[in-house]
Amino acid sequence: MKGWKKNLILLTILLTGGALRLPFEAQLTKDLRQAGLIVKPLQIGTREKIGQTSSAVALGGLRTLVATFLNLRAFSAFTEYRWNDVEDIYDTIVDLAPHTRYYWWSGSNYMAYDAAPYSLYNEKLTPVRRRYEWQNYILKGESFLRRGLQNNPDDPELHKNLGTLLADPNKVRAFPDTTASFLAASQEFKTAADSGKMLPIVRRLQLYALARVPGHEAEALALAQKLYNERLKNRAPSLLCLLIVLETHQGLIQDPAKRAVELFGDEKSAYKALGYYWRDQVNYFPMDGIASALKTLETGLSIPEEKSLLHLKMPPRFGTDEWFQ
Amino acid sequence: MTSPAVKSTDSHVLRILVIARHAFTQLVRMKVFYFLAVFAVIAIASNFFDLPQHEVPESIGVSVLRSIKSWSLGTMTLFSVVLSVVATALLLPKDVEDRTLYTILAKPVPRFDYLAGKLLGVLLLIFVSLALMDGLMTLVLQIRTSVVLQQQLAMGQQLGWGAAEIARLKSETLAQGPTWSLQAGVLAVFIRSSIIASLALLISTFSTSTLFTTIISFLVYFIGHFQADARDAFLQSETGGQGIGARIFTLLTSLVLPDFSLFNVIDSVIEGQIFPLVMLEKLMALGLFYAVLYTVCSWFIFAKKEF
Repeated sequence: MKGWKKNLILLTILLTGGALRLPFEAQLTKDLRQAGLIVKPLQIGTREKIGQTSSAVALGGLRTLVATFLNLRAFSAFTEYRWNDVEDIYDTIVDLAPHTRYYWWSGSNYMAYDAAPYSLYNEKLTPVRRRYEWQNYILKGESFLRRGLQNNPDDPELHKNLGTLLADPNKVRAFPDTTASFLAASQEFKTAADSGKMLPIVRRLQLYALARVPGHEAEALALAQKLYNERLKNRAPSLLCLLIVLETHQGLIQDPAKRAVELFGDEKSAYKALGYYWRDQVNYFPMDGIASALKTLETGLSIPEEKSLLHLKMPPRFGTDEWFQ
Repeated sequence: MTSPAVKSTDSHVLRILVIARHAFTQLVRMKVFYFLAVFAVIAIASNFFDLPQHEVPESIGVSVLRSIKSWSLGTMTLFSVVLSVVATALLLPKDVEDRTLYTILAKPVPRFDYLAGKLLGVLLLIFVSLALMDGLMTLVLQIRTSVVLQQQLAMGQQLGWGAAEIARLKSETLAQGPTWSLQAGVLAVFIRSSIIASLALLISTFSTSTLFTTIISFLVYFIGHFQADARDAFLQSETGGQGIGARIFTLLTSLVLPDFSLFNVIDSVIEGQIFPLVMLEKLMALGLFYAVLYTVCSWFIFAKKEF
């Protein structure tokens, strides 16, 4: 057989084979993408960031290995407080391994819980700059979690992490609207808790966030009552205090002190729990009926006026103008 | 009484197996198994990449399990791809150099049997190597998973978690340990190596040197990871308004090159996702298709080749 004829036949075999498998491969790719088993190709920006060698390794089917290496690099950047590098590296890592919850969460934590406080206490920066950097890193932390949820919408842990960040009283001032932030947090906790894969505390966290949203007291009370009746473990002091506050707000009880004794067992325990709760006003918790309950209990326990918890000077709320001054 | 057709098939199979065994022995003598020592070091060393990063009690130690899988499967991929390309590229030239090829072909050995036997020998070597590496990885992972699980359970009990929460925690941690999906991932590594080995065999039948075969095979391997992009571009070209040149190029790329991006499922397995059996079966079918297609093409070239 002549050379050109042979090559032509060979090419025909290869092309026919290709034509036979093409629809199968296209469908298989679609199925695997739908199942979240293969991810979109690497962005050009990511390829540039990781360099040619790592890019070749990643393209060679070793994306998670490159992500592991970069995680080590991010840790070095973290120990040297190179926050912009940490952010850049995690942006790349999550592009390489978008289904690994840990990387989204870790990137968010580095930004919101490490870089933000670091900026806050960085004496080299002016107060205005410190505030800007603090807010900026918290928003970056939020962005990591939101992008993580776009890639893993059914991950309850990521919902819980986002809820935790949005409802963190030390961070909430970084968000444009504090009330909206608590409401969003309660929705995130709800989604996480509804998955049925979370610890019972997540439902309580939903309540704690919701109770801090003015106008949602009835909804919060219904949840608090449900949790209270559900199981003994849900009777955490904060939940009981919130029950008193919300019942007072809704006009269901007239004597919060009496209700507190009923819930906590005796006057001393009630006073201790409400005392701790009273300090939580800096954390945006509602205080309906707490002051009057504390006053009644202090009278009953013969606590002198000068030692009254009601005279306790509260620190300014984190992130407010007053706090920055 | 056995029919001549059955007898002929049996003799083909026997011949292929003899050649495969010879190729396997030939490759083992090249001391490729020394690599396993390197793998053992990597598998054990990956245990120590437990960085003091952000960890909540529920995820204590889980990142190190992912690290073990990531390093081990990464090494397996690298080893299997390099071995499948280099070993296959070496086979024919070495047989020519040793003059073994002339001895074999002088006997009544069909050239297809010779090629299939050689390929099978390489695949057997890769399979045995991967099985050994998989065994080591599973052992290391199993030990570390038990340690992590003990730590987590102790913590859970300390925090007064209920039975349901502890069961959930256990199941989440076990999903990061040695699972059937992980074994399926290792099998996917093997299927990918089989495709690249059969492709290297095809290239070696018309190649002029081992170096040429190696370089072209690696190039095809990397380009194969973009095949899906070319296919998507071609399938959407009508709506995308591509020129005729671009359409022909993307079509040819899609038809001639294998799609290696399908095997990136391994990354998802490392991330702890479940690899459904039906998907694995489809990948196996595809791997078999490629291996048969490229071996037939190799035979087509090799059948009349003069030495």
